[in-house]
Amino acid sequence: MTSLGQVVQSVRKYRNFVQAEVKRVRNDPKAAEEVLNRWHEIGSKIGTTETPTGIKLPTLALPEIDEPGAITRFLLDEGLPGEFPYLSAAYSEQYLASGGGNGSATDGNGNQAEEPTRLFAGLGLPEDTNARFHYLSRNQQSKRLSTAFDGPTLYGVGAGARGVFGKIGEGGVAVDTVDDIERLYAGFSLDQPRVSVSMTISGPAPILLAMYIAAAKRRFGPGVVPKLRGTIQADVLKEVQAQNELIFPIEPSMRFLADMVDFCAQEMPRWYPISISGYHIAEAGATPVQQAAYTLSNGFAYVDYFQQRGMSVDVFGPRLSFFLDCGLDIEYVALARVCRKIWALGMRDVFGANERAQKLKLHTQTSGRSLVAADWKNNLTRTAIELVLACMNATNSCHSNAADEPFTTPSEEYARYAAHAQAILLEESGLFRHMMNTLAGSPGMRVVADAVEKGILEEFEVIEEQGGVLGAVERRYQRSQIQAAAHLLESQISSGERSIIGLNRYTDDENRWPNLEMIRTPREKKQLHLDRLLEFHRQHADLSEKSLDRLTKVVESSGNVFTELTNTVEHCSLGQITNRLTEVVGKFRPMV
Amino acid sequence: MEPIRILTAVPICDGHDSAINTINLELIRHGIEVVYLGYHRSADDIVRAAVQEDVRAIGISSYNGGHVEFFSEILSELRARNGQHIKLFGGGGATITKADAEQMYEYGVDQIFFAGTSLGEMVDYVQRRFAAPVAQEELAAPRSDRALAAMLTRIENGGTHSNSAGSIGDARKTKSFGFTGPGGAGKTTLIDELVIRFLRHSSGQRVAILSHDPSVLRLGALLGDRATMIYSQNDRVFIRSMATRGQTGGVSLVTEQSLKFLAGTKIFDAILVETVGTGQEALPFEFSEVRLDASFLVMPPDYGSRLQLHKIAMLDAADVIVVNKSDLRGARTAVAEIEARIGLSRHGQRLFRTQANRHDDPGVDQLFEVLFPGGKSKSAVEYRSATHHSF
Repeated sequence: MTSLGQVVQSVRKYRNFVQAEVKRVRNDPKAAEEVLNRWHEIGSKIGTTETPTGIKLPTLALPEIDEPGAITRFLLDEGLPGEFPYLSAAYSEQYLASGGGNGSATDGNGNQAEEPTRLFAGLGLPEDTNARFHYLSRNQQSKRLSTAFDGPTLYGVGAGARGVFGKIGEGGVAVDTVDDIERLYAGFSLDQPRVSVSMTISGPAPILLAMYIAAAKRRFGPGVVPKLRGTIQADVLKEVQAQNELIFPIEPSMRFLADMVDFCAQEMPRWYPISISGYHIAEAGATPVQQAAYTLSNGFAYVDYFQQRGMSVDVFGPRLSFFLDCGLDIEYVALARVCRKIWALGMRDVFGANERAQKLKLHTQTSGRSLVAADWKNNLTRTAIELVLACMNATNSCHSNAADEPFTTPSEEYARYAAHAQAILLEESGLFRHMMNTLAGSPGMRVVADAVEKGILEEFEVIEEQGGVLGAVERRYQRSQIQAAAHLLESQISSGERSIIGLNRYTDDENRWPNLEMIRTPREKKQLHLDRLLEFHRQHADLSEKSLDRLTKVVESSGNVFTELTNTVEHCSLGQITNRLTEVVGKFRPMV
Repeated sequence: MEPIRILTAVPICDGHDSAINTINLELIRHGIEVVYLGYHRSADDIVRAAVQEDVRAIGISSYNGGHVEFFSEILSELRARNGQHIKLFGGGGATITKADAEQMYEYGVDQIFFAGTSLGEMVDYVQRRFAAPVAQEELAAPRSDRALAAMLTRIENGGTHSNSAGSIGDARKTKSFGFTGPGGAGKTTLIDELVIRFLRHSSGQRVAILSHDPSVLRLGALLGDRATMIYSQNDRVFIRSMATRGQTGGVSLVTEQSLKFLAGTKIFDAILVETVGTGQEALPFEFSEVRLDASFLVMPPDYGSRLQLHKIAMLDAADVIVVNKSDLRGARTAVAEIEARIGLSRHGQRLFRTQANRHDDPGVDQLFEVLFPGGKSKSAVEYRSATHHSF
């Protein structure tokens, strides 16, 4: 049995354990008394808050139960926020105006705008994205810079390669060298805890993070490394299953990743070196249950792999983070809650992880796939509903999509509306401002959670039958399931079984194509980027081959490739490095 | 009426294949044969494939921007490779604006689909617009890919026999090899790995691949082998994807004729025939005129227990047996069982263990020696120094 099969067992075992406990406290008066005492103690510790309209509320709502069995079930099944199995929330205080806690809530001064906002940006050349970062974060005390890269960067292809000129700086920022990274984050105090950087890139992630470290060292000195705060996606498995942006075969990709995680676990205590992502799986058309099942199982596969390399789960475990999509289907009422529970159980019971490593830390993005071009301003409403769902699931940070995303990289105007949607929800509305679990605990949420959990375990079993995640990948199981789900979804939209307002319902003939400013990178800028790259190659011509040869030696000798990359990037561009590495370890063979 | 053949792909540095997968499925359901080249494909690769496959149109699904440049690059590649008769259409949700489309039409793009286009509209367009082959104005050079492709189409559609090849007094002997085995055995990967060794080993010589996929629902077929090939996207490799069009057994009715024709041109050092991943009753290479130089049965370790092995007549008939994915559980058992089995036969069958999905796998190196004796494959680094590339 692989570790995934053991996770299924541990979840089932826990369910039986809860039932047994419920029975026990009902039959044992002494145990019952203990439960009741604890329940009263919990209730007495909850603070109170007063709303602007003058009503008084507790900061945490507890269900109105007084029977020991029911209390036990609640405490063990859901747990209080911040308590095992973390179904309610990973931390005890999230979103509360009076809170603080885990770094994603407002700090209570009331003058912080738009948190836990983390807005994705990337366009044109590094200086263009840099300007956008400064614009987006101008009112924020904590600067959360989330970076989207262009296609050539995501594939590790140099800007000078044949046929990619048109793609430079489209859909994301173009990065080829450490100099580009320096321009990209210029003017931000990367050594300060209030600045965090996230990079959405997987295939060449180790090379990009190495460039980031090198660029930060140039500006802030070598002592900056442990201070760097942020996240890099680096999710190899979801690339194979859904997003198709992998460069090297799976095996060396996993090794390079592990080298990076190992380095970060030791040298960069504030860095999350992997973001286990369901977002792209869902965007490729997966159902919500498929998204959750494949993402969690990928997560367990990483833990398995890192442990087998001799790394300590208590060291790397707390550095893992998750990234989920939140769409409009009803599963999203409870999807992330169930994920937290399964993760906690698997980490505790199968991998023996400590409490910090049991907590699933979650970034959510509203669904891009749910946005449509037809009557596109409806997308504002779609995103708003998805935001509510995400916060009902106590996400730790959130990105809300801009309404114009079906057309273009978001314009400043709609990026602003997207950020403000979060502020309106968390600061203006009372939904999550006074009580972090205003909307939790409904029978409907419970029923959905049970159905979702059942679905996830069934998926785990199918994957287990195929020898675990890697075996299923080899048989292209996840890919084919996702493709089938995508096709079904499109057929349902075509047939009208699924209503998409403005597209197949309540349509009119009026032309609602937006009069938007399309974000495109002009030819001259693309040329400038290319010229800079060629200049970099010229400047480093005498050292680049030597650096690549040294890197090759490390790869062949099974040393830590990431550590060497932090040197290589000083003299070599992204394209030079990926070219050399593919010669040594091969290319990823595309799966269709 | 012969099925419409088109090629679909996603541009270089773009992995958004969700839309094209759905569209491919829909086209196949409506009887269209779709050669799918996959994602992250250069204009070179797309046009080379379109010409070799003799498709009527190329459909591009682009979501990562740069589409105006990319489509125009395809059009100029089409002109450069004498493929102007192949039409180009595509879409990219709402990332392609009406203004972009106007510009692309001016360059010569046939059709752009905007966000909100139904699957039905796209199928209609393909069926209507490409119902008949587009008239080809000029005659291609007889040994060009385009001429070979046109002849293969004629053979496939029953229009001609294969003796009209333009063979020009070259003494080159074309070897032909057949590869068969169950689905999931890794035949395509293995062939691609043999091809990179061929390319490294020789200079200038060419190799051809006849690759088969099953037709589904009467007429349509998804011809997807090219999509998983890396090294075979090369001007020295000629690939033709063939649908079985109702024929059982793993190849098409015209496979032999196509093979005979290609061999007769004496352009290629070798022709590799890859069958559909089915058919365990007999080797599908019982041709009447053409004799293969060797037949290869490729199987995964979990192919079957000893009992099932005895049922497999193919095992007895194949010249070479390859246990691929030899890293998987059960590989040693499989090898032992097969050794015991072929020990009984009398005709010197050979058995190899490969792990084709591993870079520079020594098992594949050994297998390469069987196809091309004396052909020590160069390592990647040696090959690199002999090949130009930019970054």
